[in-house]
Amino acid sequence: MMTIARFAGVFALTLLGFTTASAQSASPILSGGAGFFGASGGDNTFFQPVLAPVLAIPLGNNWLIESRADLREVVARQFGTSGPYQGTFFGTLEYLQLDYNANSHLTITAGRFLTPFGIFNERMSAIWINKFQDAPVIAAIGTAQGYSDGLMLRGAAISNSRYAVNYSAYFSTLSTIENLRSQRTAGGRVGVFIPGIRLEVGTSYQRKLQNQRMNSYGNDISWTSDRLPLEVKGEWAHSLSGHGYWIYAAYRLSQFGGGNSPIARLEPIVRMQQFFRSSRPVSGDSLPSTNVRLPGFGLNYYLPHEVRLNASYGRELVSRGTDVNQWEFGITYRFLFPLSRGDSR
Amino acid sequence: MKQQILVLLFLICSLCVCVATFAQTSTTPGTKTKASRSNATSSDPASSEGEKRFQVNCGRCHNPPEELPPAATRAVVRHMRVRAMLSAEDEKLILEFLNP
Repeated sequence: MMTIARFAGVFALTLLGFTTASAQSASPILSGGAGFFGASGGDNTFFQPVLAPVLAIPLGNNWLIESRADLREVVARQFGTSGPYQGTFFGTLEYLQLDYNANSHLTITAGRFLTPFGIFNERMSAIWINKFQDAPVIAAIGTAQGYSDGLMLRGAAISNSRYAVNYSAYFSTLSTIENLRSQRTAGGRVGVFIPGIRLEVGTSYQRKLQNQRMNSYGNDISWTSDRLPLEVKGEWAHSLSGHGYWIYAAYRLSQFGGGNSPIARLEPIVRMQQFFRSSRPVSGDSLPSTNVRLPGFGLNYYLPHEVRLNASYGRELVSRGTDVNQWEFGITYRFLFPLSRGDSR
Repeated sequence: MKQQILVLLFLICSLCVCVATFAQTSTTPGTKTKASRSNATSSDPASSEGEKRFQVNCGRCHNPPEELPPAATRAVVRHMRVRAMLSAEDEKLILEFLNP
């Protein structure tokens, strides 16, 4: 409870201070998502009410403060498969960064930010964006637990009507402060986006500069059809721990019965992911301890007013051990409020 | 037993949300912003280019928001400039499209 109170206090003070400070310029916004998730795998079942607020405060013409937290209660049986249900609170400050748009092609970011490796961590990890409830099995490769504390340069190096080249490069320092933990790493990502065919390919690299030093690298692809409501996304990543990939295709049935018909709100998704564990031991890498294959199928249903229902089924096929069925269901609500009247232009 | 109660509660809440959202949609006039109207057309070339960039860039990661309060657009676009690594020109054109 103390942790919740501390989070709420810091958030309220930040809101109050910056809302007042920027009352004469663009309005700050409070956005984010709220959700309730349930999952069952093997004999374990758990539930998670989640709140993920995003705060964005523009200052002047070139500055921005932005932050996202993840506040969730995990309700599960006391002894895994038996015992009474009990809840444990987890509060994570995912990013709290100051951005300065130095020019059209460069933004300088300082603070705590999402590690830019591949496309999942930075772009798809928000609960109202992720098509599945869980993160891909290789999400821990190259992301240093997901968060970095340090300095980042990013932007669009080249941007024209035919293609755009975007980049991010960062250095993160070691931090052992509670709620601000990070590793000493350096890395970045370069992506090429072709608007004409809505295709983006990227490549990422990270060097871990503490303890067991290692390189991680990966490639990603993202394609959205301009003719069909279809998108395909995928990543491949490699580190000393092993390598793996995930890929999914999502098809919104909006061509059936008009945009607002009950059928048009459905979005079936198919995902395949695999991880191949290397023979070299790497402690605490948050990756499966053995080879694993995870075919899965999901169904999203988009209700009006930014409410989404989702359900998915997956089969975890492990090379050593017992295969497990994984069922997930949930509901998410995406919200967005201006915090003052501000200047919309 | 508690697990079944929680599942039942979840299903009831989901049902309530479904009924409430559909009821609201059928009784209130459309308040959708320009952002959600993918077939919106404009005779203003800058706005048209802004719409194109909005669809292409924002759709890379997520569905466009159904409603975007005018007071929030500047902060949203600034936020997305950093997230999606947009150029200053992208930011300007998208802002003009969302808030003509």
